[in-house]
Amino acid sequence: MNVFAICAVCVITAVISLAIKRYNGEMSIIIAIAGCVVVLLSVISYTTDIFSQINSIIKTANIKSEYVAVLIKALGICFITEFSSDCCKDAGQLSLANNCTTIGRLLVLITALPLFKEILNTAVSLITMQSQ
Amino acid sequence: MDVDMIFKIAAIGIIVAILNQLLVRSGREEQALLTTIAGLIVALMMIITQISSLFTTIKSVFGL
Repeated sequence: MNVFAICAVCVITAVISLAIKRYNGEMSIIIAIAGCVVVLLSVISYTTDIFSQINSIIKTANIKSEYVAVLIKALGICFITEFSSDCCKDAGQLSLANNCTTIGRLLVLITALPLFKEILNTAVSLITMQSQ
Repeated sequence: MDVDMIFKIAAIGIIVAILNQLLVRSGREEQALLTTIAGLIVALMMIITQISSLFTTIKSVFGL
């Protein structure tokens, strides 16, 4: 996707949204959200290439692929919650936006907890090895 | 890229605003309100399919 086209779509959407706002406030927010969705949908398919590259690099470095899966999952959760939070902020609902962000943090923490457990297990095994 | 949708929603917004003004001027406030709500619902139905496709794409890309 051409970067200039994406930037042009963003600017045109902003201008249209501003032009509509005076006559129809709800529609202006919907236009802004539609612009976000269109731009993201056109770009998001490229991330699969990035992730396959990262996976191949990780495979050559002999690191477990589960770690990268957790990382990518956390990235996706951040992506969705940030998008929803920004939409809520655009609509002027700051409390909903903050709730969305908090829930995203919580879910990322839940996703990453097994990794944390593994780190703790490694630390415990190291300590017991030293004490023996 | 589905840019047409943005223009479609903008057109719906303009038409609904004009209809709203016309109905308010002719003394039909209830119908004006109903027109606004109908336009809003049409635009929301258009955007909800796109949001759903975005979320399913993110779900499949990030492995959620």
